[in-house]
Amino acid sequence: MVVLREGMCPGLDEDLVRDLRAAGVKTVEDLVSSNIEELAQKCSVSYKALFAIRRVLLAQHTAFPVSGADLYEELLSSTAILSTGNPSLDKLLDSGLYTGEITELSGGPGSGKSQVCFGVAVHISYHLKQSVIYIDTTGGLTASRLLKMLQTETSNREEQMEALQRIRIFRLFDVLSLLDCLYSLRSGGLQQASVGGGSVKAVIVDSVSAVISPLLGGKQNEGMSLMIQVAGVLKTMAKDFNVAALVTNHVTRSGSGEVQPGLGVSWRHIPRTRIQLEKVERATSVSSSSLRSATLIKSSRQACHIKEEFDLQWWSRSKGGSSGKRKLDESQL
Amino acid sequence: DEVRVEMSESGVQLFARLEARRSLKDIEPALFPDDGGPDHGDVVELYGTEGTGKTELLYHLLCRCVLPQDAGGLEAEVAFVDTDYSLDMFRLVSILDGRLSSSAHLAGSGDSVLRSCLSRLLVLHCSSSSQLLLTLHSLETSMALRPGLALLLIDSISAFYWLDRCGGGASVTKQEELLGKCAELLGRLLRDYRITIVATCHAIRRTSCGPSSSSSSDPNRPYLCRLWQRLVTHRLLCSRQESTGDHVAHRQVFAVHCTSGKKSNRSSSFYVTDAGIMFI
Repeated sequence: MVVLREGMCPGLDEDLVRDLRAAGVKTVEDLVSSNIEELAQKCSVSYKALFAIRRVLLAQHTAFPVSGADLYEELLSSTAILSTGNPSLDKLLDSGLYTGEITELSGGPGSGKSQVCFGVAVHISYHLKQSVIYIDTTGGLTASRLLKMLQTETSNREEQMEALQRIRIFRLFDVLSLLDCLYSLRSGGLQQASVGGGSVKAVIVDSVSAVISPLLGGKQNEGMSLMIQVAGVLKTMAKDFNVAALVTNHVTRSGSGEVQPGLGVSWRHIPRTRIQLEKVERATSVSSSSLRSATLIKSSRQACHIKEEFDLQWWSRSKGGSSGKRKLDESQL
Repeated sequence: DEVRVEMSESGVQLFARLEARRSLKDIEPALFPDDGGPDHGDVVELYGTEGTGKTELLYHLLCRCVLPQDAGGLEAEVAFVDTDYSLDMFRLVSILDGRLSSSAHLAGSGDSVLRSCLSRLLVLHCSSSSQLLLTLHSLETSMALRPGLALLLIDSISAFYWLDRCGGGASVTKQEELLGKCAELLGRLLRDYRITIVATCHAIRRTSCGPSSSSSSDPNRPYLCRLWQRLVTHRLLCSRQESTGDHVAHRQVFAVHCTSGKKSNRSSSFYVTDAGIMFI
């Protein structure tokens, strides 16, 4: 609710605010919903003046309608698709992470969520020369780790440093700090974080469930409300600043034993696209510890349940070596 | 003077308001009971959990509305209030493209028809209940000026449920105040402008408090405030049909069950293609 204050718009002076308050009209919502003719009489102000105030307040506080045709044109020119650097994931994502959207990686411990995030961050900063915001809520990210990955890309120290500078890291361990950080990024921090010519194109939160899941179950209203706030600021930031948001989530088992993304039904519709990561267990191969499968479980662009296998070492492979990528035939699913 | 002009109604506007508004009774015959489609003043609620085809169904109805008559559409204007920030323009365009190219009259007509479809759509983004309320107030002007505007889509009406629950403190009245005001206003807009509303509502997890009877533990029981429930005339319950094996391999089938107070019920099912949903 927006409380009425003097000077909010022309004609809304101290006396009028007081009179309106006396008539039970304290917020913009109250004023807009009330009968202007009656209210004007109660507050001994002219109908015309009060109606003009209502109109200005409405214009100030409402969403601006945009024609679908204009919106589409704008999206066509502003949407970018950021390759993750991994052909298997790009295939599931229909060529990469789309700006303006939230993409989620869900998976159990050791399924490679964080490693994929590191790889994506390095790829975007080094190959695409764009800035990345990396919000680490688990303490899993270290600069030396990123540097190691970059060293496999280039031996040029200057290039490595440039790429590292384009990754801006925040370490936050509770939901209020996360919200603070996201709000300040949305209100201008994103532009400031652009370094080395590349603007911020991706915001990674690894993991979103680590800070949200402790809130659920207790005081339900408060926990749910904080979760929806995190979702809201991520979505509006992705859309308004045209960045790709990549978040990670844990998994739970449903009553019937089926693996499903964590954070419950109200979170489930927040990401536009969701990929589930799993460890590939194979008795026969000895060196399969870094082999993972990725399954597309939510998408508006591709048929779901497409599955790909890939090697987590992909991002740190020595160039020219054998590809760690392997495809699964549809019939094997 | 200027202010007065805006308040009063010209004869043309009055006519537009009362006569010309398109009825959406035939928006999708497969979905609603015979002769029971949503008419002037009706409210359709699409209810279901994630992954039950709600969004696809919503886009289908949206496309049926804005497509030209030659392509089986109603050629009506739509206001889309996006409270979830989830409108997927690319998906919408691919559905429209699919529908246009499968229509004999319009195949190969190019971008101009697509553009005209998209220009029948008005998009508004809202990020709080309070902004939703104010935006609905301002939409009244658009409704008065655009007799072609027949459908108001709200995706979703439950978007701010948890924020309002928490913001309202312990008082349920306070928690439901803003959505209640929105519902009252919508009630008036439905009556005065004879529009139709389609709104999505996400399922929520219920905490079962104490021993409850079988009826109150129904997970699909409406949970939004009474004032909103009272407006709803058609409820479409979306669910995922477990694979029956007799369909094409890997094709997910979605089921919709329509309950309408006035008429009998209807069940239908569909699957999703690149060009939108197909009823079975």
